[in-house]
Amino acid sequence: MTFLQLVEGPLWYLAVVVFVVGVVWHLVGLVRLGRSVDRSAARSSGTAGALKAIALHSVPHGGNLGRTVYHFVTGYAFHIGLFVLVLFAAPHVKFIHDRILGVGWTAMPRWGFLLAAEAAFAGLILMWVRRLTDPVMRRLSDADDHFGVWLIFLVMLTGCLALQEAHDGLRALHMLFVDILLIYFPFGRLMHAFTFVFSRAYTGATYGRRGVTP
Amino acid sequence: MRFPRTLRASFSNTFAADGVAQGLAKPAARRFPAFDLARVAGGLVVVVLLLLASLAPSLAQSSVRPPAGAVTLAPPGPEMQGGALGNRSDAEVWHDVRKGAAGRVSIPDPNAPTLIQSQGQDWRVFHNEVVKVWGGRIFAGVVVAIVAFFLIRGRIRIKGGRSGRVMPRFSLTERVVHWFMAVLFVLLGVSGLILFLGKDILLPVVGPSVFSLLASASLQGHNLFGPLFVVAIVALFVTFVRGNGFRWVDVVWALKGGGLLGGHASSHRYNFGEKSWFWLASIAGVALSISGILLLFPDHLPGMVAQTTPDAPPARAMMQLANLVHGIAAVGFIAVGLGHIYIGTLGMEGALEGMTRGTVDENWAKEHHDLWYEAHLAESSTDSVGAEVAAAAGKV
Repeated sequence: MTFLQLVEGPLWYLAVVVFVVGVVWHLVGLVRLGRSVDRSAARSSGTAGALKAIALHSVPHGGNLGRTVYHFVTGYAFHIGLFVLVLFAAPHVKFIHDRILGVGWTAMPRWGFLLAAEAAFAGLILMWVRRLTDPVMRRLSDADDHFGVWLIFLVMLTGCLALQEAHDGLRALHMLFVDILLIYFPFGRLMHAFTFVFSRAYTGATYGRRGVTP
Repeated sequence: MRFPRTLRASFSNTFAADGVAQGLAKPAARRFPAFDLARVAGGLVVVVLLLLASLAPSLAQSSVRPPAGAVTLAPPGPEMQGGALGNRSDAEVWHDVRKGAAGRVSIPDPNAPTLIQSQGQDWRVFHNEVVKVWGGRIFAGVVVAIVAFFLIRGRIRIKGGRSGRVMPRFSLTERVVHWFMAVLFVLLGVSGLILFLGKDILLPVVGPSVFSLLASASLQGHNLFGPLFVVAIVALFVTFVRGNGFRWVDVVWALKGGGLLGGHASSHRYNFGEKSWFWLASIAGVALSISGILLLFPDHLPGMVAQTTPDAPPARAMMQLANLVHGIAAVGFIAVGLGHIYIGTLGMEGALEGMTRGTVDENWAKEHHDLWYEAHLAESSTDSVGAEVAAAAGKV
């Protein structure tokens, strides 16, 4: 068995299992925590508050544009770029078709790939640099934050380095980091990809019942 | 059919000799010796060959010659035309090809008509024997100089040690822009050096398989991060241009070797070395950006840029020029950048924290940037966190 066969075979399946089981276990545990019963009469709908919070916290609001524009721009550049790369890069579409879903879709052209990659890399590097230099963020950050950033960066970097699709070694390196990312994902702050919905909904519902959702 | 008498005689003799024709031909007196037969046959062959030789040119020409009054579409001119008609030798044709003469093609590729671009030979020689060789020597020299300087001088300590008071020096914006450029410098520098010198240095060590992998990865990475460098160099210039104009005090600083030659060398916020680095990085960065864009998108060159010389295919000549500019600018950028990295990290105590936390020790500021220190003395504080927050807010 070659290294490529290992990382695309047994290790890939192990990583997917750990990822799926870990994420489900994490989310079920989160939901089962529940919340204390609010015995006060609701002034407004908690559900509406939850939905409003999810939407509002996705854009600058309440006069916070000046303070959040950096994270707003870099954050969206990175996340949109990353999702476009994951879902529409030609090698990914083929992999999803051949190995995961059995169906595929039209891949984006090369110029689209480059634009998405530029946006994703610029956003990720700028957010990480900010994490290192901002006095508040530096103190809030721990090893998990930096490890997650580095892991994502290495996955993206090795993927782009393998863009020529001329060497199995580069493809294997990319797949190795993908496997590591999937295994690490449920146990670190990368879980925010799923938990942000729950945290915002919880806060929004609480304040929505009190009628103070901004 | 009636043969000439000589031939009839020959046939008769021959057939009579082997007895086959004895009943067919009447024996006759032998008037010609036997060897005359070969002589006659040979003479006939010569006559036939001479006849064919005299007729061949006219036959050959008549087979390709256009009919009278036909109009040829071949344009006038000496280059690459007329070979089919035989009025130019192969040597002349290939001489023109070697000199870069353009022919005609039916595909819309401006490079296709030129089989051999002579400028490419000049480019290859200059690139391989000047830029690469001297680039490698300069890199090696810089590394040796840094190691030697460290071994001789050691780490430059803060005179009098740390004071316990810090001063805001670099804002959050300045640090973000600096580190964004630093990340790209590393990514592009490493991938660029593999592409630039890897064939000469890495290939003999790691072998063709590994080098092929490294080169492929470097090419993709270099092309990917290149456009971000363009953004970063513009941001770097806009962010740091203020305070980087040269003054008389910088000349004095340079004459004193920054204090290495004895005596204190005064400086404002940036000293002569930092200002020189800023302008070199800016100029080299612009050169790298423009040449890099030309190399990345050769098929999208605007006409006024693409048309460089009348002798060479436009896009290719422009790419050769861009390649040389890119290599020379990169050598300068990376070589001086190595010195900058050394003095900002290992080489000098107290320098790096200015770019990480945004603050520097008061004694460090007094020693290396005394004029700036005196102007900002009021901002010195023992509250390191407060100073850090002030620096992040841009109060520098």
